Amino acid sequence: MVPPEYYLLLSAAVFCIGLFGILTRRNALLILMSVELMMNAANINLVAFSYVWGNVTGQTFGLFVMALAAAEVAIGIGIVLVLYRNFDGVDVTEATTMRW
Amino acid sequence: MSVLLQTAEATTPMWSALAPAIVLALTGLVLLGIDTVWSDDPNNTVLAGTAAGGSLLAFGITAWFLVAGTGQPQTGGAISLYGESLVVDGMSLFFTLITTIVTAMVAVAAYDYLDGHEHRAEFYSMVLFAATGMATMATANSLATAFVSLELASLPSYALVAYLRKNRGSVEAGLKYLLIGSVSSAVFVFGISLIYAASGSLIFADVASALGSGVSEMTGVVGLGVLMIVGGMAFKTASVPFHFWAPEAYEGAPAPISAFLSSASKAAGFALAFRVFVEAFPLGAIPAGVDWVLAFQVLAVVTMTLGNFAAATQENVKRMLAYSSIGHAGYALIGLAALTAGGPNGDVLGASMAHLLVYGFMNTGAFLFIALVEHWGVGRTFEDYNGLASAAPVAAVAMTVFMFSLAGLPPFGGFLSKYALFYSAIESGFWWLAAVGAVNSALSLFYYSRVVKAMWIEEPSGTFEIQSRPVGLYAAVLFAGLGTLLLLPAFGPVIETAQTVAAALF
Repeated sequence: MVPPEYYLLLSAAVFCIGLFGILTRRNALLILMSVELMMNAANINLVAFSYVWGNVTGQTFGLFVMALAAAEVAIGIGIVLVLYRNFDGVDVTEATTMRW
Repeated sequence: MSVLLQTAEATTPMWSALAPAIVLALTGLVLLGIDTVWSDDPNNTVLAGTAAGGSLLAFGITAWFLVAGTGQPQTGGAISLYGESLVVDGMSLFFTLITTIVTAMVAVAAYDYLDGHEHRAEFYSMVLFAATGMATMATANSLATAFVSLELASLPSYALVAYLRKNRGSVEAGLKYLLIGSVSSAVFVFGISLIYAASGSLIFADVASALGSGVSEMTGVVGLGVLMIVGGMAFKTASVPFHFWAPEAYEGAPAPISAFLSSASKAAGFALAFRVFVEAFPLGAIPAGVDWVLAFQVLAVVTMTLGNFAAATQENVKRMLAYSSIGHAGYALIGLAALTAGGPNGDVLGASMAHLLVYGFMNTGAFLFIALVEHWGVGRTFEDYNGLASAAPVAAVAMTVFMFSLAGLPPFGGFLSKYALFYSAIESGFWWLAAVGAVNSALSLFYYSRVVKAMWIEEPSGTFEIQSRPVGLYAAVLFAGLGTLLLLPAFGPVIETAQTVAAALF
C-alpha cells in the first residue's frame, strides 16, 4: 500500500500547480481550468483518505465536489461570455473600469 | 443529540424544523414556474409580490420558531437531522431571521429597480435560491453541508452581480467576484479535505472528538486545513485577506444585490464561521499550535482598520459603503477573536450576532438608498449628493439614520450593538480589541457624516430632476429605517436572545 503521505504530497503539488496557473494566466478560461485543478487536488485527498480511514464519507463528498465544480464552471462560462461581449476578449486584465 | 420535538409538536415531522429554508427554495421554484407558464414577460408586481411574500413567510415561521423555542434547551435542545449533517438550534434560527428579512427588503426594492429590465423572474428566483443557501449555511453541521450550502449561496450571487449584462461595470464586478469566489472555495474545499485526512470525518462533533483524542499525529495538516477554512470564511464575510472582491462587486452590482450580499451573505458567512470554529475546532480540544483565535485576532484588527481607512479615502458613495462593510466584518470578527478556553464566550459571540442583525437593517437600508438615488439618475459621488435633502427629504432622513447608526452614534440601534460588542470583548479580557474597534468607529464617523453633510448642508450644484417616488424602494428604505430605530428600544430582548442561543453552543 502506498503510504498516505504520498497522497498528500501529490495533492499539494496539484493544488500548487492550479494556484500558479491562477496567478500567472490572464485568460479567464485558463483561470477557470486552474480552479478545477485545485478542486481536484482536494478530491485526491478525499478519495485517498476515504480508503485510509475505511469509510466512504470522503468518496461521497468527492462526488459532491465534482458536481459543484461543474456548476461553478457553468456559471463561470456564462460570465466569461458576457465579458467577451463587453470587452471584446477574455483577458481578465482588460476589465478595469473600476479602480480604488 | 437527536431529540424529538416537544409533546405539543410531537406529530410534526422532524424535517419541518427546516421549514424556513424549504419555503425559500419553493418560492424560488414557484417564480421559475410563473416565468414558464406566463405567456409573455411576467408581470413585475406578481414576481416581486411572490418573492417578498415567500421571504416574509419564511421570516414569520423563523420568528415563530425562535419565540416558541424550537431547537432550544427549553424544548429539548438542538434538533439534528439527516445523520447530524444539519442542525436547527437557536443560532441557526437567529441567522435565518437576518437572511429572510434582508431578502424581503431586497425583493420589495427590486420591484422598482428592475423596471424595464429583462429576465426579472430569474433575478428574483436566484435571490431566493441564494437565500436558501444562506439559511442552510446557518444550519450546516458537517463540513460537507457547509461546502454545499456555501456554494448554493455563492453561485446565484455571481450571476446576480453580473445581472446588468450590458453594463461594463456590472460584468467586470461579476467576473472579479466569480474568480476570487471560485479560488476561495477551492481553498476552502482543500482545507476540508485536509481536515478529513487528519480526522476521518466531516461531522463537526466527530471532527472535534477525533482531533481532541489525538488519533492523528498530523498537527501540521490540521493547522493548514484550519487556516484554509479560515480563508473560505474570510471570502464569504468579505474579510482580509479575501476582501478584494467586495468593493468591486458592491460598486458594480445592481444596488439591491449589493445590499443583499453585504448584509445577508455576510451574516450567513459568520453563521457558518461561528459554528465551524466553535463546534469542529473547539478551544481546548484542538492540538496545541493550531491557534485559530490568534488568526482571527489578527484578521479582525487588520480588517476593521483597512476597511475604515480605505472608506475614508473614497469619492464614490457606493464604494465608501463597500469599504465600510469590510470594516463592519472586522467588528463582527471580534465575536470569534475574543473567545477563550474557559471564559464567558456566549456573551461576546451573542453580541457579535446582535450586531449583525442591526447591521442587516442599517446597511441594507443604506444600499437601498443608493438604489433609490441610482433609480433617479443622480450621480454617484459625494458632490452629486449635495443638497439632495431639499429634493427628497424623507429618504434623506432615513439615510441620515443609517449613516449615524453605522457610525455608532448614541440614539440609534448601531450604538447599542457596538457598545455590547466592545463591552463583552473587554469582559473577556480583550480590551485592546475593543480599543481598536472604538478608534475605528470614531474614524468612521468622518466619512459617514460626509454623506449627511452633503445631503443637508451643501448647496446643490444643479437642479435635481426627480419625477418619480418609487413605491417599492421607498417602502423598503423606510422599513429599514424603522427597523434601525426600533432596534434601539428592542435591543434588550435581541441581545438577550442572541447571547442565550450563543451560550447554548458551548
